[in-house]
Amino acid sequence: MYCTNTVSFKPASKTTSMSIQPYTEDQNDALQEVVNIAMGQAGDSLARILGHFVGLSVPRIRLVTVEDVIKTVTDMVDENAEISAVRQAFSNALRGEAIVAFAQAGADDLADLMGYDTDLDQSAEQELLLEVSNLLVGAVINGISDTLKTDLSFSAPSLMAQRTPLDQVLVPEQLSWSHALLMEVNFTVEDRDFHCHLLMFMTEGAIDTLRDILDEFMDSI
Amino acid sequence: MAVSVTVVDDSKISRKMVIRALPPQWNIELTQAENGEEALAAYRDGKAEVMFLDLTMPVMDGYQVLEQLQKEQLNTFVVVVSADIQPEAQARVKKLGAMAFIKKPVKTLDIQNVLHEYGIV
Repeated sequence: MYCTNTVSFKPASKTTSMSIQPYTEDQNDALQEVVNIAMGQAGDSLARILGHFVGLSVPRIRLVTVEDVIKTVTDMVDENAEISAVRQAFSNALRGEAIVAFAQAGADDLADLMGYDTDLDQSAEQELLLEVSNLLVGAVINGISDTLKTDLSFSAPSLMAQRTPLDQVLVPEQLSWSHALLMEVNFTVEDRDFHCHLLMFMTEGAIDTLRDILDEFMDSI
Repeated sequence: MAVSVTVVDDSKISRKMVIRALPPQWNIELTQAENGEEALAAYRDGKAEVMFLDLTMPVMDGYQVLEQLQKEQLNTFVVVVSADIQPEAQARVKKLGAMAFIKKPVKTLDIQNVLHEYGIV
């Protein structure tokens, strides 16, 4: 299914779009709030399986070009160490990719938080990362879908990187888009090493579709 | 007599969602605030007998507003309205003096239940 190890999106090509019309202030405000609600639900799901209070960052939303995506993502994620990353595609009304990036210290701590042996072998660690990613992405996608009253579904999680430097996880040359809307939030656990970042990318077509969906959402309030 | 109500949230759409969910028959004097500092200023102007308070805001967040209200022993009926719906977040704000906690997205029924429960409407 999703077996490649870099991010690519369909349908899009680098030649289709010269520029993207940015969202209005009201559209950005509505999007920020929708993402906030969705990430809150993801944080709640995570808190329930970890049995700990989860700290949520304020969601960051940026329009990025393929040229600056690596810099933006590394600024957001800000991890010097290697990370493991899980990806899931979402589709229907909006199409895009969600990526959950775990710093290695966080991945180790996750096993402990969930009551597993901390010396997990690689495949057991993978399973755990896939499970947590699926939980977060599922909650976020359902949160967006419920709030905007729009149909969204998501694919099974697949591992895109394990113990890999962050700047090697995304390869611009292999991305099939020129602009993307990037949404990021990070989850932390007080007094623990665990933390992870959830990144969502929507590309050209979805950016325009979302604009219309946000307008309808605002009109409904 | 009209009850003074301040809705505090940095998001315009979020304030609108709260305001829309208030009971239509409720006689209120409405004020909007975009952060905690504006919320406290509204309180000091006598505009916040009831306060609907978001937690995550720039300048001064909802937790800081609650701490300040508690520190100065100020008397307002605070309903926290938050996207952070963890039970622990609810417990924390109640410990800081919030009377009630409502999850975002706000539902009319949730607001009405709180207002009825405390005999406000």
